[in-house]
Amino acid sequence: MQRRNSGFDMSTPLIAAFALVLCGLILLPMTWLAYYSVTDKSGAFTLANFKQLVTDPVLLEPLLTTLTIATLTSLICCVVAAPMGWLVARTDLPMSRTVRALVTASFVTPPFLGAIAWELLAAPNSGLLNQAYRAWTGAGSDSHLFNIYSFTGLVFVISCYTFPYVFVLVANTLDRIPGDLEDASSILGGRAFATARRITIPLAMPALLAGALVAFLQAMTLFGSPAILALPAGFHTMTTKIWSLFQYPPKAELAAAAALPLLLLTVALLRAEHKILGRRGFSVVGGKTGEPRLVKLGALRWPALILCIVVMLCPVFLPYGALLNATFSKVASKVVSFDNFTFHNIEFVFFELSATKLALKNTFILGILTATICTLLAVVTAYVTTRKAVPGYRVLGFLATAPVAIPGIVLGVGLFLSYTRPPFVLYGTLWILLIAFVTIALPAAYQQLQTGFRTVHVDLEEASRILGATRLQSLAHITAPLLRTSVIATWCFVFVGVMRELSAAIMLFTSETKVISVLIFDLNESGDLAAISVLGLMMLAITYAVVILANRVPGFGGGVRLRNT
Amino acid sequence: MRQHFSRRDVLKASTSIVASTVFASPIRAAAPPPSSATPELIAAAQKEGKVVWYTSVDLPLAERVAKTFEARYPGIAVRVERSGAERVFQRIGQEYSSRVHAVDVVNSSDAAHFITWKEDGILAPFVPEDVAKHYPAEHKDPDGQFASFRVWLCTIGYNTDLVKPEDAPKSFADLLDPKWKGKMVKAHPGYSGTIMTATFQMARDLGWPYFEKLAQQNVMQVQSSADPPKKLALGERSVMCDGNEYNLFQLMDKKSPVEVVYATEGSPIIIGPNGIFKAAPNPNAARLFQIFSFTPEAQQLIVDFGGLRSVHPQTKERPGHKLLKDIKTLKDDPAGVAKQGEEIKARYVKLFKV
Amino acid sequence: MASVELRGLTKRYGSLAVVDDVSLTIAHGSLVCLLGPSGCGKTTTLRLIAGFAEPTAGEIHVGDRLVSSPARTVPPERRQMSMIFQSYALWPHMTVAQNVAYGLTLRKVDRATIDQKLNAILATTKLDILADRYPGELSGGQQQRVALARALIVEPETLLLDEPLSNLDANLREEMRFEVRRLHDAYRYTTVYVTHDQSEAMTTADVIAVMNGGKIEQAGSPQDIYDRPRSEFVARFIGSSNVVRGPAVERDGVAFAGGVLRCNGARLVSGRDTPVSIRQHDIRLSATRPSDVPNVFPASVVRQVFLGGSRDYMIEVEGGTQLRVITAAEDDIPQGAPVFIQVPPERCRALER
Repeated sequence: MQRRNSGFDMSTPLIAAFALVLCGLILLPMTWLAYYSVTDKSGAFTLANFKQLVTDPVLLEPLLTTLTIATLTSLICCVVAAPMGWLVARTDLPMSRTVRALVTASFVTPPFLGAIAWELLAAPNSGLLNQAYRAWTGAGSDSHLFNIYSFTGLVFVISCYTFPYVFVLVANTLDRIPGDLEDASSILGGRAFATARRITIPLAMPALLAGALVAFLQAMTLFGSPAILALPAGFHTMTTKIWSLFQYPPKAELAAAAALPLLLLTVALLRAEHKILGRRGFSVVGGKTGEPRLVKLGALRWPALILCIVVMLCPVFLPYGALLNATFSKVASKVVSFDNFTFHNIEFVFFELSATKLALKNTFILGILTATICTLLAVVTAYVTTRKAVPGYRVLGFLATAPVAIPGIVLGVGLFLSYTRPPFVLYGTLWILLIAFVTIALPAAYQQLQTGFRTVHVDLEEASRILGATRLQSLAHITAPLLRTSVIATWCFVFVGVMRELSAAIMLFTSETKVISVLIFDLNESGDLAAISVLGLMMLAITYAVVILANRVPGFGGGVRLRNT
Repeated sequence: MRQHFSRRDVLKASTSIVASTVFASPIRAAAPPPSSATPELIAAAQKEGKVVWYTSVDLPLAERVAKTFEARYPGIAVRVERSGAERVFQRIGQEYSSRVHAVDVVNSSDAAHFITWKEDGILAPFVPEDVAKHYPAEHKDPDGQFASFRVWLCTIGYNTDLVKPEDAPKSFADLLDPKWKGKMVKAHPGYSGTIMTATFQMARDLGWPYFEKLAQQNVMQVQSSADPPKKLALGERSVMCDGNEYNLFQLMDKKSPVEVVYATEGSPIIIGPNGIFKAAPNPNAARLFQIFSFTPEAQQLIVDFGGLRSVHPQTKERPGHKLLKDIKTLKDDPAGVAKQGEEIKARYVKLFKV
Repeated sequence: MASVELRGLTKRYGSLAVVDDVSLTIAHGSLVCLLGPSGCGKTTTLRLIAGFAEPTAGEIHVGDRLVSSPARTVPPERRQMSMIFQSYALWPHMTVAQNVAYGLTLRKVDRATIDQKLNAILATTKLDILADRYPGELSGGQQQRVALARALIVEPETLLLDEPLSNLDANLREEMRFEVRRLHDAYRYTTVYVTHDQSEAMTTADVIAVMNGGKIEQAGSPQDIYDRPRSEFVARFIGSSNVVRGPAVERDGVAFAGGVLRCNGARLVSGRDTPVSIRQHDIRLSATRPSDVPNVFPASVVRQVFLGGSRDYMIEVEGGTQLRVITAAEDDIPQGAPVFIQVPPERCRALER
């Protein structure tokens, strides 16, 4: 490539500025977090916080609980998602597109909303399912089928909204395994079972393992569901504990110390995932490879579909139904009928609840700003890294990916510690939430656009530069139009992510900067389930509108993930 | 440099001065002259256009008060910021230490908070006309910084579909009966000022062993004191160990199958004062709202719609509600709560695990 | 080993017949090439033979077994076949040795026999030093050999090859052509070989079946196909002929460039428009009119290119028809010059269609 002599290329200083911003986004909060974790109230150095962390049962128990929940969730997700992924990707399952769409629906449903909906369904006494159980079996008024306020209940609800991560990884991998590899086994005498055992399963195994790790991470760093379900049951997880350490009297030092294990574990697990996925790539050499032959389920087709639908009852149909019921019912635990049908809840949320308007406004402002900023940052970073445009591009790529290792609640703590003090007092403004959301959403946006950039061949840009365009002009005139679909998809993806973010927002909001997710969480604490249902359904409606706008859910092609809430 | 002010630090100096109740007279009373809703004040408030009210009162009631104010003074929007009193306290502390001044008027169900805020010197002295004329001395700050906006009890309650009146618990001691195991719900002193206050009074009068035994009863733990009544109404639990009397009243108005029980040991009495901040972003609207809060109109509203009790002599208690003077109550002591608040939370978390 | 017979084989996707009434007998031990451009149905035919797809109509017999019919299809794993895929389809999670031994492992062959056969085939295919590598660590040519070894080790009744050389670079491809033929001569499996490359087909096949639009246009030995194409498609596809058209004037003549082009081949019907195939190097050029020979026509040189070993001309005859001609390098006639072309009648082949 020729070096241009005339004209100043604006890209170098711009990129340097980018690197600085990215650095600041991540390093500042993490430094404060580390600093606080080794200081006492007076600011002197101490290791007492960590000592308390491993000795005080009030802190140690949540840590063990969290690890148990994460392990169980991970196992359940694999057991459910792997066969479903296989059914959808490799068999002639009827309506497999619909099943995929349903998994997408559970993927974009905020987990905290699902948890609240499951309170309506499976609270031991008032839960709709338990009521139905008693009505059908005539069981006594104290007996119940499900108790959502329990360890098991929590694991169940977390699994409902975590299994899509495993499903996506497994189904995508199975989609991409060339049919030839299975055909080659068949023609050499491998029956369906032998082929599955020796070829298909081993090839999908890395994806399943990676999925298990991702599920573990999601379950470990989740805040909303445990806060909603574990506290009534009388136990803490690590995230709820960290959050409660910020309640009066705040123990920021201890919270910082408690956040570090989550951070380190996340980093370690992500490295493991990277290693698993990075081993022995498929050696598919050019040329066409046959469409995979779908396994014929024969008589089992419809039972298999019914099984999938039954699974999807848990994250989608039942919760949505419960929310809808609570929206129009005078009493959330009663099924809507002529007697107790009401529009009052909707009226209350939109005309009486003075927080609704502000929260909606804040959510939209933050959603739009975060999505725009993140997409811009991601475009530039992805450009620089895929085109290796400047020396040190790897650092930029690393910085853009690094936040993936920071659980939302940990980031929230870090940002709180950083921005409630000079020189940057941002607490109380939307800026601090913006910083949090941008940091959280950046890795996924970057990953998505990096994939996008790889599909635009570098020759196309060079053809523009050889005709006299600067790098930025080439980017604007050639690459940007070609990337439009990826960019729009990324934007929508980030926007949806912001809507469901709770774990960082809960640490950082003030009354003026409340967002919908926090408002819903607040309402749950005072038991206003009907208002939550209305807000929740509205939130889902907006989410689906955006998803449909994006035409397809991004991430379902690129293996990117929405963050925890 | 530490930003988080600690209530204990503040109180070290103050507790020697503050006497046993929140409204005890210090050496010199310096309340400003009473104010009424003058046209000038209304105009100034309307110019500000809004007022932000942090409160721990149950949300629909808070919004009803807000809407009534808005109807009375068009052009001034009330933004209700509702959370548990302990959260409200933490939030204001956090915001003030970051120099975020978002709150105009505050109402807390933990009267001890006003001791702290007063000591911090962040409350504005301001006496509405009604308070000056009608409020008994024990329900207003001698320095005019706050007055009792609402009064209510923390009571036992039960679901009448699930429990027959004759089987219902009569006392706190009854709640320890094994037959209630797994059937009760209670709120959290780390969130709710009502429960904080009640826990203080009960721990003082019944002793901590009561809570130790209660913790063995497999109680469903919710956050807000407004929630246990709602859980009863849903049929989720049969009995509530603690929670707002006024929410039960509201639910009974809606024909929900719930009933109030005043414990034979005495019911904890809760006082929820209103005050305004010196650094209020909308000072005139704040004053106007404070004046409005103590008018007979607003006070009758919280009685009629909310099921709360008012100390304004011009209000009428609703027929069917037992009068406050006829109910055995435990003695309130905000200064005691202020002193022991942290310890109560810590002990509570140890017992109830959350 | 056994013969493979296709009878009226048809595969439709919706209303589109991808394979349309194909009948072909592949004699025991012979190598048949299915040759044709992309989309001609050759790969689908191969997948039908392998059992990966079910025919819409027609039958496939292997020896005396009926293996495919619309009513019943023997699954691929019970056909005693082997296949080499265009993508090679090597399993990335297995080493070279594991890949190659896979078929034997499935057949529950004892360990010692497996080792012995494995070593033999790895040696034959020069893979012995790569046995413990993973496919991702091999070059294209090495991967190709692994695919070959994996297919051959099971000693199949029938060997199927789907464009096995298309991913190799030109030099290697040429080398491997002969390698495929050599291995076939050594083992003599009944082999079906799918390719779009005519020289590959020429080098390897006993019989070439040229396919077009889902049908077999012509089947025969390489020389037969080359020398005696029956259709314009075959003539153009094999060895890129000039095809000229004109009404037949007599039993052995076609009106051309103001005269009559004498030819052989298909029976002519007087007056009917008839295509005639003339190979590019069968046309002779001379600056002066040759005497005493038939099929001489005046023309002019449109352009000519020196190609080192030969010269490539474009000439135009009366009436504007252009023909490509390959001559010896020393026949240098400048552009624009008048010239005479002469074509031996036995080299002009009248086509059926």
